[in-house]
Amino acid sequence: MNPFRLHSARNLADARRALLDADGSAAVIAGGADLLGEMKEGVAAPAILVDIGGLGLGEMDVGADGAAIGSAVTLARIAASGEIARRYPALSQAAASVATPQIRNAGTLGGNLCQRPRCWYYRNPLFDCLKKGGGACFAVAGNNKYHAILGADACHIVHPSDPATALAALGADARIYGADGIRTLPIEDFFVSPSQNMLSETVLEDGELLVGVSLPPSSEHVRSVFLKAKERRAYDFALASAAVRVELRSDSDIVDSARIVLGGVAPVPYLARAASDALIGAKMGETDAAEIGRLAVQDAKPMSGNAYKVRLAANLTARAITNLAADFAGRRGQ
Amino acid sequence: MTAKTNAPAPLSAVGVSAARRDLADKLTGEARFAADVRLEGTLVGKILRSPHPHARILSADVSEALAAPGVWAAVTPFDVPPGRIAPDVPILDTKARFAGDEVAAVAAEDEYAAEDALSLIDVRYEPLPFVSDAAAALRADAPRIHEGGNLAGGEPLTLERGDVSDGFAQADFIIEDTFTTPAHSSAALEPRAAVAVWDGDNLTVWKSTRGVHQDRLMLALALGIPRGNVRVVGVSMGAGYGGKDETRLSVLAAVLARRAGKPVKIEASRYEEFVAGRRRHGVTTTVKMGVTRDGEITAVHARTVMDTGAYLSSGPGVIRRAGQGALYLYRCANVRYDGWLAYTNTPSGGSYRALGAPQGHFALELIADRAAKAVGMDALDFRLKNHVGIEGQPGERTSPPNAIIDTQPLEGGVPFSSNGLRECILKGADAFGWRDFSGGADGGHLKRGKGMAIFIYRGGPGGRSIARMRLEPDGGIRLISGVMDVGEGSYTALSQIAAESLGVDVDRIRTTFADTAETPDSPITAGSTATFSAGLAVERAANDLKARILESASDALGVPASELEMSGASVRHLRGSASVSLSELAAASGGVEAEAAVTPGSSECIVNSFGAHFAEVEVNEDTGEVRVVRYVAAHDSGRIVNPTLALNQVEGGVSQMLGFSLSEEMLTDAPSGATLNASFLEHKSPTILEYPDIQVIFADVVDPVGPYGAKALGEPPSIGVAPAVISAIRDAVGVEVKDLPATPQRILDLLEKRERARQ
Repeated sequence: MNPFRLHSARNLADARRALLDADGSAAVIAGGADLLGEMKEGVAAPAILVDIGGLGLGEMDVGADGAAIGSAVTLARIAASGEIARRYPALSQAAASVATPQIRNAGTLGGNLCQRPRCWYYRNPLFDCLKKGGGACFAVAGNNKYHAILGADACHIVHPSDPATALAALGADARIYGADGIRTLPIEDFFVSPSQNMLSETVLEDGELLVGVSLPPSSEHVRSVFLKAKERRAYDFALASAAVRVELRSDSDIVDSARIVLGGVAPVPYLARAASDALIGAKMGETDAAEIGRLAVQDAKPMSGNAYKVRLAANLTARAITNLAADFAGRRGQ
Repeated sequence: MTAKTNAPAPLSAVGVSAARRDLADKLTGEARFAADVRLEGTLVGKILRSPHPHARILSADVSEALAAPGVWAAVTPFDVPPGRIAPDVPILDTKARFAGDEVAAVAAEDEYAAEDALSLIDVRYEPLPFVSDAAAALRADAPRIHEGGNLAGGEPLTLERGDVSDGFAQADFIIEDTFTTPAHSSAALEPRAAVAVWDGDNLTVWKSTRGVHQDRLMLALALGIPRGNVRVVGVSMGAGYGGKDETRLSVLAAVLARRAGKPVKIEASRYEEFVAGRRRHGVTTTVKMGVTRDGEITAVHARTVMDTGAYLSSGPGVIRRAGQGALYLYRCANVRYDGWLAYTNTPSGGSYRALGAPQGHFALELIADRAAKAVGMDALDFRLKNHVGIEGQPGERTSPPNAIIDTQPLEGGVPFSSNGLRECILKGADAFGWRDFSGGADGGHLKRGKGMAIFIYRGGPGGRSIARMRLEPDGGIRLISGVMDVGEGSYTALSQIAAESLGVDVDRIRTTFADTAETPDSPITAGSTATFSAGLAVERAANDLKARILESASDALGVPASELEMSGASVRHLRGSASVSLSELAAASGGVEAEAAVTPGSSECIVNSFGAHFAEVEVNEDTGEVRVVRYVAAHDSGRIVNPTLALNQVEGGVSQMLGFSLSEEMLTDAPSGATLNASFLEHKSPTILEYPDIQVIFADVVDPVGPYGAKALGEPPSIGVAPAVISAIRDAVGVEVKDLPATPQRILDLLEKRERARQ
C-alpha cells in the first residue's frame, strides 16, 4: 500500500473542494471495505483519502412516504431495519446477503454502490486490463466463470453490488452532490457500462459525491424479493441474483407494474425489460414463471465458461416470481 | 456434534479427554507463534517473486535497493550460496518455474522499507514457453521445466498384484471412467514464518514447522554448515496440514541474517501463502473395475496423472498414496496402479492431509458405486461384500519375513494388525439410517440425497523415534521428545501415554518438545505418525523409567520392586505403609533418566486405519447450490487416546474437505500462467455456515502394535468426504460430478446437458 494523506471533510463543499484540488489523485473513503482492499492489492494508489464519515450522511428515514437512506449508512443497519424489511424486502435481503457480518458492519451503502469491479483480472496487478487503461480484456481468452453474459462489449465485468440490483428493481433514485448542489437521477442511470466509460462504473464526475438514495413509497399492493446464488453461504459475491418488484392493481390480482433486475450477469444492474413487460397485465399467480425467466435472459451471450449463468439467472427470476405470487396469496389469505 | 465410542476397558490416563497442554496459552493469547518471536534489532525480510510462469533470469541488480534507507541486505540468484533446499530447489535459481517463484530477497528495518526495496530491484527476464497442464507437460514437445524432463523420476510408477487382464477376463461387467480433482490450499490460518539469528557460526531459527530435526538437517545442508551449528525451535503452530514441510523462508532468512549481521524475520503474506505455499496436487484419475454378476470385484486398474507443479516436494510419496485405495481397499487378487507425476509451470504441490488418498479414493469410490448399481446391489452391500478384511489381500507374502513392514506392501498374504472397517461400515450406516433413508419430503426444487464412501490409510508407523523420560532433582517427571505438535495435540496425547506407563497423573508430566538443542532426534509430524511412533518410544521410555524408579525405591525401602507402585509423588509398598517420595529418590540418585529408541511397526502385519463416511445433502436444482445437511464419520483408529482431541480431528478433517468437495480450487489462468484466486475471497474455503451436523463414531478396536492400541487418525478424516458428498449429490439430482469441486456451475452444466439429451 502506498502512503496517502487522510483528509477528514468538514462538510460536503469541503469534500468536493478536496477532491477537485487533488485533480484525480484522491479517493472518497467511508467504510473502506472496498477501497482498502484495492490499495493493498496494488490496484489503486490514491494520494489523498477524503473521509466523508463526518458529513451527516448516516441518516436513514423510512416511512409511508418512502425512504431516504444516506450513503454512509452501513449495510448492517439496513439489514437490521424492520421498516426496510417490511416495506422494501428486496433491499433488506440484498443488504443481508453481502459478504460477512464484519464487512456489513464497516461497509456503507454508498461504498457498496460505488465499489469497483471484482473481476480477477482487474484486481490482479499482473494484468493491465481495459479497466486500468490497458489494451485487452483478459477474461475473453481466460477464465470467465464469473463474468458477464449480458450487456457486455469489450470489457466483461459484472456489477458486483447486491443492493444496487435491489434498488434498481425498487425504482430508487440516487442523490448526488455536485457543482449545483444535490441532483437526483434514477439509480439505473447512476451506473454506466464500460462502453459509456471504461474507467468508471458510475456517472460521478470528479468532485461529485453519492450522498444517498431515495425510494418511492411502498404499499399493500407492492411486494419485492431478492434472490442470490453463490458458491458458499457467506463471504461471496453473486454468481447471479434477481430482484423483482411487483405492484398489483388496487382492485385485483392484475400486475400493474413490474421490474425485474438481474445482478452478477452484466456490467450494470440489468433491467430485464421484456420479462418485466410480460408480467404487466398478467394475473399474479397465473403467470408462466419459467417463461418469464427465459425472457429475462433472451439476449444472453455467454462466454466460454459462464453459460451456466444463463440457466441460473432464468431460474432465479422464475423462483422470485413464484415466491412473490405465494407472498401475495399468503398476505391476502390472512 | 457428538462423539460415540465403544471404548474398551478404560485405562487411567489413555482414553481420557485430558485438556490440551496449550489450552490456556492459546485461549489467553499467550501462545507464541513464529511471527511473535521478537528479537532486538530484527529486520523484516521480503521476497521478490517472478511475474512469469517460466523465465530465465538474466540479471538482478540490487544496488538501488541496497542504497535505499533502512535496507541492510539483499540476495539474488547471482550471489546466493550454492546450497540446495531439495534436489530440485536451489536456495535461489536463475530460472523461475512458476508465476510467484522466488527470485530475490531483501532485509530492511521495517516491512515498508522492505516492500519498497523489492520494487527497486531491477530484474531482466527472458520469458520461456510454459505449460500449466500436467497431461500437456508430458508430451514430447512440451517446454522442459527441469533438466531431467517433465516426468518426475523419468518413468511412471507401476504397481501390480496378480494380473489385471486376467481379472477383467473374469468380470461380467467392466466399469471405467475418468475423474479430476483440482489443486487446493489448506489455507492454514497462520502463514509460514521464520526468524533467523546468527551467533558467530551458530544459527538459531524459530519457525512454523512440522519437524525441528528435519528442518535442522535441511538448513545445515542448504547452508553448507555442520548440523551441530544449527538450532531449530518449534513454536506454536496455527495449523500444519502438511503445508509447512518445506520452505525457502527459513533458509533465505538465514542468508539475509548472515549478510545483515542482524536477526531477520520473514512472514508470508496471505497471497504468498496461497501462491508459494504448498497445495494438494491436482490429478486426473481413470479407474477401471471388473465385477462378476454376483458383485465380486475381479480387477481394479487405476491410472493417475498428477501435477506436482514447479517442484517435486513430496510428490513421489503423494502419487504412491493416490494408488493406495485402488490397490488395497477391496479384496482383490488382480490390481494395478500406474502413476505419472508431471512437472508444470504452476505453484508447487506438496503434502496436504492424507497426501494422495483423497484424490484416489474419490475416483475409486464413485466407480464402486457404479459397479454396485451395475450388478443391482445397494452401495452399502457392495462394500460389505468386497472390503478388505483383517487377513489382508489374497496371495503369498514375498517380502522377507523378518523385515519390518514400513510402507504399504503390494503383495497379498500379509494380515493387518487390526481392521475395524466392517464395524465402521455397519455402525456408520446404522447411525446414518442408510437403509431407511427416503430422501425426505418432496421439497420441490430442493432435493435430498445420500452417499457413502469407505477408505483405508497407511498411517501410524513412521521413522525411528527416540524419547527420554527423566526423574528430575525435585521429584518431577519430564518427558523429552523432538516431536512437533502442529496443532493436532500430540503433546497432550504423548503426555497421556507417559502418564499411563508411569502410573501417575497426566498433570504431573512436565514436557520438553521440539527444540533441537534439548531433544533427541525425532521424525516429522507427518503421515499421521506422531502419536503412534513417538508414542511407542514414550511408552517404552516411561516403562523403563518406572522400573528404575521402583528399583531405587526397592533399595531405599528394602522391599522387592514387584511389591511397589507409583502413588502420586511417591512410591509406596503395596502391602504396608512404607513409602518414599520421588524427590527423596531423586536426591539420593541424583536424578534418573531413561531413553528409548524404537523403529515402529511390525514384521508380521500391516498397520492401517480405516473408516466409513455417510453424507446427506440438499441440492437446489434451480441454482446448483449444495448444502451438506448431515454427516456421519465412523473411524477405526485403534484405541482413542484422547476422545475430545480425536473428535476435533474428525470434525476438522470433514469440514476442511467440504471445501475440496464443493468450492475450493486454485485456478491458473491458461493464457498467462498466473494464479487467479490467491485470496480467502476467491479460494472459497467453507465458512462456518457450510458445516453440517457431524456425528463421529470410533470403532475403538485395540490395535496390538500401536501404543496402548492406538492407530493413526490425523489424516484419515479427510479421505471419504468428497466421494460421499458427490455420491449424495448424484442420489439427489441424478447427475454425477466427475470434476471437483461440485460448484453450482458444474451442477447446472450437467443438468443442462441432461435436459438437452432428453429433448
